[in-house]
Amino acid sequence: MICEDARLLIGADPDAAGPELEEHLRGCEGCRAWRAEMRRLNADIRRALAEPPDIRRRSTPRAAPAWREYALAAGVVLAMAAALAVWVLRPTDTLARDLVTHVKGEPESWLSTQGVSAGSIDHALKSSGIALDFASDKIVYAQSCWFRGHYVPHLVVETTHGPATVLILRHEHVKARDDFREGGMTGVIVPAGDGSIAVLTRGRGQGQVDDLAAGLREQVHWLPEPAQPPPDPMHH
Amino acid sequence: MRNPPVQSPVSSVSERSRAASARASLTALFESMRPDLLRFAQWLARDRWIAEDIVQEALLRAWRARDALKDPAAARGWLLTIVRREHARLYERKRLELVSLDDAIDIPDHTAAASADAELLTLRHGIMRLPLEYREPLVLQVLGGFSTEEIARELELTNTAVLTRLFRARHKLRGLCGPSPASGAAPEEQPA
Repeated sequence: MICEDARLLIGADPDAAGPELEEHLRGCEGCRAWRAEMRRLNADIRRALAEPPDIRRRSTPRAAPAWREYALAAGVVLAMAAALAVWVLRPTDTLARDLVTHVKGEPESWLSTQGVSAGSIDHALKSSGIALDFASDKIVYAQSCWFRGHYVPHLVVETTHGPATVLILRHEHVKARDDFREGGMTGVIVPAGDGSIAVLTRGRGQGQVDDLAAGLREQVHWLPEPAQPPPDPMHH
Repeated sequence: MRNPPVQSPVSSVSERSRAASARASLTALFESMRPDLLRFAQWLARDRWIAEDIVQEALLRAWRARDALKDPAAARGWLLTIVRREHARLYERKRLELVSLDDAIDIPDHTAAASADAELLTLRHGIMRLPLEYREPLVLQVLGGFSTEEIARELELTNTAVLTRLFRARHKLRGLCGPSPASGAAPEEQPA
């Protein structure tokens, strides 16, 4: 082996070994020094990669005036206080109401009759770290919706009795099943995994929501949850 | 018409319970690997949210292909490979707009940091600035623990091409934080 080959091998893999390389190293002080240097560098690279890269996206091209920072901070504090007040003062049983409000806010979800693409279903589920063993041709609407501070999959499933809405709520914990009838809808929220699953239908379809909810408890798999980016202002 | 044979409810329940238990341990395994996968994806993508997306997509793919994982001890390499392919697929699919790293990010000023820390930061920034063709095999080798032969298979390159890329990656980094790169001239890469 010649020095050029030995250095290529060591530079590519400082821990490389082999009879030919060892034989060369025994007689070549330069290559031994090269290996020692590459091993030191490799230890540094290992340490450098041990943490994720510290990239911060550049958001503002120039610094804002100081008063703007104080005004922004005051605004944030006021907004947080207002949000806290609303949160503390709200009734505890508003999950069902929030679900109905959310579903009514997407009336187009009931209109679809054709299956959505596997990609759309994946997108809706992926943001919440959820996998679903469910016949995808039955799903006629799939969105990832911002609901109570998290992205949740919002699906509409075609059943033999008509469409039913499913929201998979990783962050909404319920102790027991909660049947509700509100705003012209019938629904149920059942505990599942660490969170819950809500099924809603228009009118009185208690049997329909029960069957679907029972099946989904077996078919929903809770994968590790991704960190969620802030909500898209164009989508509620 | 004959009725289908009646299954014993006992065996059916125990099978379901076994399957549920296997699913739970696989989920726990995925969960334990997530920080590693995310770090790996972040070094490849150099963007936290894109990396999150890649890892989530990879975990979904892994979940669907879970039957292919026969040995849980091989899970790390298997998942890292899926993440790498997902990263490559993302760039193929979306043709992400390429911008200069200097235009897109703020890199913390480390002039005041202690010398050892400053060297490490310089190295980290150097790795970030490596072109993907050098950064990818380096991260696969050092972070993923893949051998040069495995990297060659994964990247569909010859072993010599991988050796050359790894050599050049270290050569560039050595120029940043070590002595001048005179003693190791970068060889020409052999075509794959």
